[in-house]
Amino acid sequence: MTERYMVEPDVGFINEVIGLGGQDLKKCYQCATCAVACPISPDNKPFPRKEMIAASWGLKDKLVGNADIWLCHNCGDCSTLCPRGAKPGDVLAAVRSYAIQEYARPKKLADMINNPKKLPVLMAIPVVLFLVIGLMAKLFGLHWLDITPNGDSIVHAKFIHSTLVDVVMIPTFFFSIGVFALGLRRFMADIHKDALICGKTDKEKIDPKGFVEALVKVIPTVLQHKKFTECGENAERATSHMMVFFGFLGLFIVTNIFFVVMYGFGIHGPYSQLNPVKWLGNIAGVSLIIGAALMIKDRITKDDQVSAYKDWFIVVLALALGLTGMLTQMTRIGGAACMSYSIYLLHLICIWTFFISLPFSKFAHIIYRTVAMAYMEYSGRK
Amino acid sequence: MTVDKQAPASGSIMVVGGGISGLTTALEAAEVGYEVFLVEKNPYLGGRVAQLNQYFPKLCPPTCGLEINFRRIKDNPNIKVFTLAEVEKVDGSAGNYEVSVKLNPRYVNAACTCCGECAKVCETEVPNDFNFGMDRIKGAALPHEMAFPARYVLSPRIIGTEDARKCKEACKYDAIELDMEAKTITLNVGSVVWATGWEPYDANRIDNLGFGRYQNIITNMMMERLAAPNGPTGGKILRPSDDHAPQSIAFVQCAGSRDENHLPYCSYICCMASLKQATYIRALYPDAKIYIFYIDLRAPGQRYEKFYNKIKEDENVFFIKGKVAEVSEDPESKNITVVAENAVTGEKIHQTVDLAVLATGMQPTAANVRLPADLKYTEDGFIINDFEKGGMFGAGCANKPADVVSSNQNATGMALKAIQTIAKR
Repeated sequence: MTERYMVEPDVGFINEVIGLGGQDLKKCYQCATCAVACPISPDNKPFPRKEMIAASWGLKDKLVGNADIWLCHNCGDCSTLCPRGAKPGDVLAAVRSYAIQEYARPKKLADMINNPKKLPVLMAIPVVLFLVIGLMAKLFGLHWLDITPNGDSIVHAKFIHSTLVDVVMIPTFFFSIGVFALGLRRFMADIHKDALICGKTDKEKIDPKGFVEALVKVIPTVLQHKKFTECGENAERATSHMMVFFGFLGLFIVTNIFFVVMYGFGIHGPYSQLNPVKWLGNIAGVSLIIGAALMIKDRITKDDQVSAYKDWFIVVLALALGLTGMLTQMTRIGGAACMSYSIYLLHLICIWTFFISLPFSKFAHIIYRTVAMAYMEYSGRK
Repeated sequence: MTVDKQAPASGSIMVVGGGISGLTTALEAAEVGYEVFLVEKNPYLGGRVAQLNQYFPKLCPPTCGLEINFRRIKDNPNIKVFTLAEVEKVDGSAGNYEVSVKLNPRYVNAACTCCGECAKVCETEVPNDFNFGMDRIKGAALPHEMAFPARYVLSPRIIGTEDARKCKEACKYDAIELDMEAKTITLNVGSVVWATGWEPYDANRIDNLGFGRYQNIITNMMMERLAAPNGPTGGKILRPSDDHAPQSIAFVQCAGSRDENHLPYCSYICCMASLKQATYIRALYPDAKIYIFYIDLRAPGQRYEKFYNKIKEDENVFFIKGKVAEVSEDPESKNITVVAENAVTGEKIHQTVDLAVLATGMQPTAANVRLPADLKYTEDGFIINDFEKGGMFGAGCANKPADVVSSNQNATGMALKAIQTIAKR
């Protein structure tokens, strides 16, 4: 090797990865069992052996902008066969978590979302927003907020008006989209640069047309969880993940239909239980609840897998989203007014937390992993 | 020194295990005048060394070393050898042990001349453990060519059958006694040296390496038997599926070693064993390609390193830094494909070979069944020597994984420790 490479270990980075769930990474002795055990690792520059040495040497630049950390689906086959108990699967999960925080700006918000102590503050933000905007709206004669809603039937819009909900939620959602867009721009540039250095691709530049074609090609793989089911060690995880994934997708579709129908045709909810859109919503909700509950159960019962705050955050939030949504509906039908309004508020808090945390938490994997898989497809790596 | 340690002591030493370490301890103690009981569970002495084709690094056969030891035993009236014998119980304390030894029947007495007439008439065949079940032997047989004591043994499986009667009739020397029975004797000794040796780690337990599933995956100890002139193939290394000479061989180092899921420690000898076995293949098949997959190659000491460097010069031997973690078999040709990541180039290698050898490590005998004595062990079953307490000692591979040279050095030291226990009275 004529090329000189100056190793610049970043001790802080090592400690962060250890703190994010990679506590066993230093046990690795580079036998490369993991790279063979992994059912989805490519033949050319396979992972995660090279990631393990980069992590224990603190080579941040070789990891954060490395698409391979996203190709991993954390099935755990590598950790099972690892002769040292270094848990490469958990180390890569920790590195991904670090990478998400690297690409998500502003940093302050990223810190808040990934710090359990700041969770109450985070969840108080939507409440404050509703109060402030609701009260300000009152000054203009808009009755968007009524903290003592009365009436014969329970109508959640009387408590917090749909418009107020949308005024808070929609900008939050698009803020997150913006954060993603900015992060992705840097992410794409980094993974391409890394692939060129490591010889993972023969393409000089990313051609947008070719990349979009690759993206379209991987979408069915993502929807069918094909990579997930290739994993041997915990294939059952694919089921719970699929339930959560399609639960979210279904609810997203329902929300959009609801939005269009309300603002376009002036028809307000709640819909009749016989309405197919309602069916979709309920099925998606149940799927989300069961899937998230299974994931939590899996994490509790698996003592050989490391679970950090980042892991609990998204599974518990997913379950809370589903449960509060379902309970809001049930208490509404059951006529428990006070309870229904309270749970509705909780539900809104969960939704807002979900939106704002999308680019900062583990939820961001839906974007980064999809892009990394598309890039792998595009790069022509074998 | 406590008072009870000064109780009247027996002047004898018991050595459990008649492999290279046990032989050494027994001889070193006996040759300075102590009475030694050498207890061996097999019908022959020599242990694992007897199963080897050659020692490293000098590449001489095991007869070199074993024969001279057998000669010394023969000439030394201080040593009493019990084969087919197992220690059942040890009572007492340092300087004064009472040991129960179960003697299993051999059904053949000292009159045996190894003429082989009994084997000729015996029709029953039993799996040959000496060759790791790769062939079968007659129910009446000499355990192996250089077995010491040189005496036939009858398998318990033929006792009570027509075969046993035919064997007895065929013997011209009245050497076969079908009514021999197991008996237990009690021996009083001052100290006990446990040279109980090792077992090859059970390769069936390494799920991802295919042993037991694919015929052409063998262990390093099986390779020793295949290469040995007195082995199942008469010293030709042939692959099990079709008895063809392999033209490509992969060595899988650290198979179940340095692995938390199996043996967490390094067995010290497997790297050298594979390098040595590369020379066996080279001698028989000059054009065969040899692939050695390793994590790190360990050739400790100047002589071993020299040996390694010599093998490295061979252009048909390829060293790949990367552990094999996956194997598969081509159902037609029965060829084996091993998969590893070359950690130097960062490329996954799928190497198809005629034969794959798993370099499995050593597991102390006491790992599976603890010895019937008050001994301390490491988590892995190696005996921890308590020199404060004294009296009983682990020697050779019962104490730690080691090559023959280190085992002999350790065994000599333990002979001295055993003598000191007695001399202290």
